[in-house]
Amino acid sequence: MEDIGMEADSAEMSGSAQQGVADAWGAVTAALMSPGGSVTEQSLSDSLALLCGQGLGRLLGGWLLETLQMRLSSSVVPEFWAGLKQPENEMEERGRAWVLLTAFRTLLGRLEPFLGGLERLGAWQDEGRGSLCGPGPGGLQERAFTIIRALLLFSPSPVLQERVLEFYSRTFSVYMNQEGRAEDGAEAPDGPERGVCPGCGVPTQQCWCKEALEQLQELSHILSKLQLLEWVSCEAVTSILHKLIEQRMEQHCRGEYERSFLLEFQEWLELVLGWLSKVFASEADREGLVPAPSAPSAPRAPSIPAGQPGSSVLKQWRCHMHQFFCRIYVNMRIEELFSIIRDFPESKAAIEDLKFCLERTNQRQQLLTSLKSAFESRLLHPGVHTSDILTVYISAIKALRELDPSMVILQVACQPIRKYLRTREDTVRQIVAGLTGDAEGCTDLASELSRGDPVTLEMQDSDEEGNDPEDWTPDPTDAVPDKMGSKRRSSDIISLLVSIYGSKDIFIDEYRAVLADRLLHQLNYNTAREIRNVELLKLRFGESHMHYCEVMLKDMADSRRINTNIREEESRLSEEEQPPLSLSSIILSSEFWPPLKEEKLELPPLVCQAMEAYTHRYEKLKAMRTLSWKPHLGSVTLDLELEDRTLTNLTVSPIHAAIILHFQEKSTWTLEELSVKLGAPKELVHRKLALWQQHGVLREEAGGRYYVVETGSSKEKLERGVMLIDSDEERDSNTTTQSEQREEKLQLFWAYIQAMLTNLDSMTLDRIHSMLRMFVATGPVVTEMDVNELEAFLQRKVREHQLMVSAGVYRLPKAN
Amino acid sequence: MKVKIRQWNGVASWLWVANDENCGICRMPFNGCCPDCKVPGDDCPLVWGQCSHCFHMHCILKWLNSQQVQQQCPMCRQEWKFKE
Repeated sequence: MEDIGMEADSAEMSGSAQQGVADAWGAVTAALMSPGGSVTEQSLSDSLALLCGQGLGRLLGGWLLETLQMRLSSSVVPEFWAGLKQPENEMEERGRAWVLLTAFRTLLGRLEPFLGGLERLGAWQDEGRGSLCGPGPGGLQERAFTIIRALLLFSPSPVLQERVLEFYSRTFSVYMNQEGRAEDGAEAPDGPERGVCPGCGVPTQQCWCKEALEQLQELSHILSKLQLLEWVSCEAVTSILHKLIEQRMEQHCRGEYERSFLLEFQEWLELVLGWLSKVFASEADREGLVPAPSAPSAPRAPSIPAGQPGSSVLKQWRCHMHQFFCRIYVNMRIEELFSIIRDFPESKAAIEDLKFCLERTNQRQQLLTSLKSAFESRLLHPGVHTSDILTVYISAIKALRELDPSMVILQVACQPIRKYLRTREDTVRQIVAGLTGDAEGCTDLASELSRGDPVTLEMQDSDEEGNDPEDWTPDPTDAVPDKMGSKRRSSDIISLLVSIYGSKDIFIDEYRAVLADRLLHQLNYNTAREIRNVELLKLRFGESHMHYCEVMLKDMADSRRINTNIREEESRLSEEEQPPLSLSSIILSSEFWPPLKEEKLELPPLVCQAMEAYTHRYEKLKAMRTLSWKPHLGSVTLDLELEDRTLTNLTVSPIHAAIILHFQEKSTWTLEELSVKLGAPKELVHRKLALWQQHGVLREEAGGRYYVVETGSSKEKLERGVMLIDSDEERDSNTTTQSEQREEKLQLFWAYIQAMLTNLDSMTLDRIHSMLRMFVATGPVVTEMDVNELEAFLQRKVREHQLMVSAGVYRLPKAN
Repeated sequence: MKVKIRQWNGVASWLWVANDENCGICRMPFNGCCPDCKVPGDDCPLVWGQCSHCFHMHCILKWLNSQQVQQQCPMCRQEWKFKE
């Protein structure tokens, strides 16, 4: 375009002037193309003045760019790419680096005249010789560089990126090897190998480390001169950094949770920064040399970050690297978070690192999603024992409250665990066992319980007490919007566990059952540990809830006193009046103990007499009170004398003792006979006989008859038997199970429901639920029962034909 | 075979020898305690009147204190006298 315009202009000029202008044009263009040429400064400026006088000055810039463009597209760019591709992959790395550098050298050589011209043109313009650059935005130089970039990189071959990447990787390893030699030798895996330079990876005698670094410097210089540095290197540098950080992290950090890596990596990143400063060195130099406000004719475009002081380039890279590091680290740790949590107290360092990095990246959502799915796939399936789930949950509470003091991650990520635990039957029992320190391998809860400064579980209704509004901080954005709010988001392990079910009464009932079991199994009335536990639980659950447990403990103390009393009385009796059986008893306040299993058992007359005598003495001691024995509960210590051996100090349950006492009278019994005699069902008796068979005392023969084995039972059988007792019988719980108790409670509602339906004819499920809620004021029972449970109960009643349902409305069946 | 019992640890629950389950005043079980008490048994005993009705001691005392004119058994309205 501009060529044509120029020709048109010149055609209009007069002949003589035409010749002068042509000469001047020739001189100036020649000067621009080869700076420092033969033309003198004086004649050049004359020519320039002439051109400007003719109004041709403005065209000079356009011409120069045009020429540059033509030259580039016709020869320079193809030459560059050809040069780069020239070796057909048969060269060594060193050679390839050389080719890369040569290609850029040639490129610079070809373009240098233009750059010189541009500079000169710029200088003229600065001297105020009129506008030479022609119209258009941006400075001439900048436009020239844009053209170079555009044409050169218009269709870049992947070979350039490959070469640059390879070259940078190499120089990086060379640099790191030189700088970091003191730090560690793990940079190049084959580093310590003999004869191979750890930097450039070739035998030592051919080492080109030094050369590589020099090449790096030259390349950087060329690139920055052509203002290509950013375009050619950034991608390569970024991917190298990414790859190296990742690689280093894989090597050093994966699976290693007990050490903090932040500082270590900080130091390493500083080293890397040293290399970066070499890559971007000339950039920094150049920028450092050129005073910023010098050239108003070539205003710096804000779009080129290289136009900032060099140190800021490095600063930017430092930020980038840090960002890379955080992101990669978080990614890795998120993957490993489940294991980190599982190892928690040991993996605290990893959690702290993760916390630091997580604050700098926006990956909470990713973390939550990943952790949740890890829980679901690794923990929440039938193959995992409840106590293990609880252990991990407790670790998760501990770990995640370190990670996120706002507890939001904890709350959200552990939701699936809580939901799942609710479906497990033995959750409550496991938690209570943990609290009382009975659970194997799970001492966290017990120590948590005895920790000072407990959080009371009393739900306060007044939210705003003693809380400075200044301290308020908003919830993180990923918080679950619920009624609880941040205040209620507790990090207290016990309250979190107890709140799984939304009610502490279940736990207290369970604890009561566990306590009852423990007390009944105890022989020595020693309750020190239980008293301590109850006291600790009182701090948590509040005095009133633990009241029943206190009465239970008091019963134990009272029983001991009464026993001592009765013993003393007995000892005052004469020889022959001494009771044949040493009987002591635990005397319960029945209203305060959990419902005990009722089993029928007829004890041998000897024991019954002893119990009667005991009751008698008790009645004397406590006026107007009597005892009701639970014959199947308790324990008996006895010795067995057989013809050839004696078993001493066996501790068995009353039914075992009763069985063996019967065998004392008669050495052969059938199952039926025993069952009648004991007043217990046959299968129970059969089960209990097994203990004596294990001991080798009894033997079952054909026809369901049991004999005493007086002689010749083998020793090892004996020992095996003793071991088996514990696993077999002793763990039988004396209290009714949770579900049985619950059933009873529901049964209680049935009367209410019937009454309601009689009066109101028909009701919906919700209505029944809310009515029960309103009218049955027997404490926490109703609130505990959710609609689903009620529905299940009603459905069962429907199946039993005690209730009718149609279109969601329940009614009583019509009495015929 | 000879069985020698060293020690028999039984379990029993105590109960009041009363003709009713619950206290006629507080409606709580006799074997529990009155609403003001925490611990049953010795700490919250029963008392019998000559009319053979019995109550938690604390309950009947409270009742008697609230009667201005005549002290009657709340169940049968006979004059209340403690059974010796």
